[in-house]
Amino acid sequence: MTDTAISTTALTKRYGSHQALNELTLSVPSGEIFGLLGHNGAGKTTIVNLLTTLMEPSSGTAVIGGHDIATASNQVRRSIGYLPENVQFYDNLTLAENLLFFARLSGVRAPGARIRDVLEFLDFTGRENHRMGTFSKGMRQRAGIAQAIVHNPSVLFLDEPTSGLDPQGVARLREIIIALNTDLGMTIFMNTHLLAEVTKTCTSIGILSSGTLIYQDSVAATLDSFPGQESLEDIYLHIEAGQRS
Amino acid sequence: MTETLTLAHKELTDLRRNRFMVVLFAFLAVTVVLSVVVASADFRLKIADYHHYLDALAASGNAAAVPAPQLFPLQMLRGGIEYLEIIGSLFAVVLGYSMITKEKGRGTLQLIFSRPLGRYAFAGGKILALVLLWTATVTGLFIVITATLLLVGNAPLQGGDYLRLALAAAHTIAYLIIWSLLAMALASLTRRTGTGLILALVLWLIVVLIIPQIGDTMDPDNQIPGGLFASLQVDASHEQAVMAHFTGYETTRDLIEQSSVTKQYERATFAYLGIKTEYNQQPLGFIWAGTFNNTLWLLAGLALSVSAALLAATKKTILRKAP
Repeated sequence: MTDTAISTTALTKRYGSHQALNELTLSVPSGEIFGLLGHNGAGKTTIVNLLTTLMEPSSGTAVIGGHDIATASNQVRRSIGYLPENVQFYDNLTLAENLLFFARLSGVRAPGARIRDVLEFLDFTGRENHRMGTFSKGMRQRAGIAQAIVHNPSVLFLDEPTSGLDPQGVARLREIIIALNTDLGMTIFMNTHLLAEVTKTCTSIGILSSGTLIYQDSVAATLDSFPGQESLEDIYLHIEAGQRS
Repeated sequence: MTETLTLAHKELTDLRRNRFMVVLFAFLAVTVVLSVVVASADFRLKIADYHHYLDALAASGNAAAVPAPQLFPLQMLRGGIEYLEIIGSLFAVVLGYSMITKEKGRGTLQLIFSRPLGRYAFAGGKILALVLLWTATVTGLFIVITATLLLVGNAPLQGGDYLRLALAAAHTIAYLIIWSLLAMALASLTRRTGTGLILALVLWLIVVLIIPQIGDTMDPDNQIPGGLFASLQVDASHEQAVMAHFTGYETTRDLIEQSSVTKQYERATFAYLGIKTEYNQQPLGFIWAGTFNNTLWLLAGLALSVSAALLAATKKTILRKAP
């Protein structure tokens, strides 16, 4: 039996009269790379904000790594890593100082050794004492991954991780995400617009439309289930169109 | 506690490398020290003139006793205290405001609050950093000022004078922390970063400039340069007799002034430094008794600003107001 890394039950978020997330019930097994797809404003970032405890749900529950986001939020935060869209750092601090700061906030006991491992894993050796203000977009995104995994979390949330990257940067980040999953055993939950990337990176997908989860399955099963469609993009558009009609 | 120290350490490192902040602090320090240097040089000249006069008298065979000029070295801090009162508080507002807006602007709040922090750890780290920064800055400034008094002014400072300087420094630290924390709270509570700054500056304008100005304008002795009573050649006892007829007016004027934390700070420091004539050369116990209320109000302001900053910069409040 596979452990469940992320599960939500009737998770709902309302902003005044606007329902951003409508009774989301979702389950992501441990070891998956789960891609959440959806149009702009579908509620993808709201889900990530709720699951990373940055926001409180209006109703419903969510459990990450066995911890409830409402009643055991600090345990949830210890077990997750988070890379927001357009991640920013303290530009006056070096990469190592930024990582040390986030490692200490996460309660890492021997941060020096852990930071060295992370820098090596992400190919940053020799750049650790450079100030963040000198880093390119692609390097910042990799540094974003570094801060997200510096405390060795079991679940990683990535919000549009390839946003704004050039093709080389996208390919490099893809390799890293897959390595985090296969080499370090992290469960990965990512929001993305890039459907081609989902096919290459994710093991399962969910489609969110106007705050409602309208589809969830493995990537392989999805491609098999829609024989008339040539790509995941076609399948996504087909499912979305079906939902609207 | 560990995360509070981590946040404070990060804040201080970040500020130390922030050129804009370094320039602001350097400008404040240079302005304050320069005012004391000028006053000290003048002090030295007056003492030298007095000695030259004595020498000239002695050379001419005149044995008449000439009283020494009434010069009090701590009074040379008047300009510096006024700069700290106005420019220092303005910079304190900018500092407190920028501590929050830079996090909001960069989007680093999400990175911080996705970590297992205590409810008040974020605000606590910022407050601790501000306390350490202002304590170090003001202590350093007062050490330089003391050295200036001794080396440039040749001022004969005694044990009690050092204690008075230390008390003035402690009041200055509290005063500047209040302004930084109020600005920090306002920046946390407003969604648009500019709104927080405008509110803080309006508050600064009212408390630092407008209220003290109203108090000064209402003071009858300020109506004529040199003082109304002095120009009418009315002595102190008659002045008191005249003012006894205007107790209601004076109470109102005093209440207006007391509503400004700036005036509380000024009254306390001017008393300890002997700038306020009635406290000059008086024992510390007498000054303490006379300015106890001012110190108490300053401490109340400090407690209020710490509470405001702690409550305003919690995860729930600050993320709700993040862009």
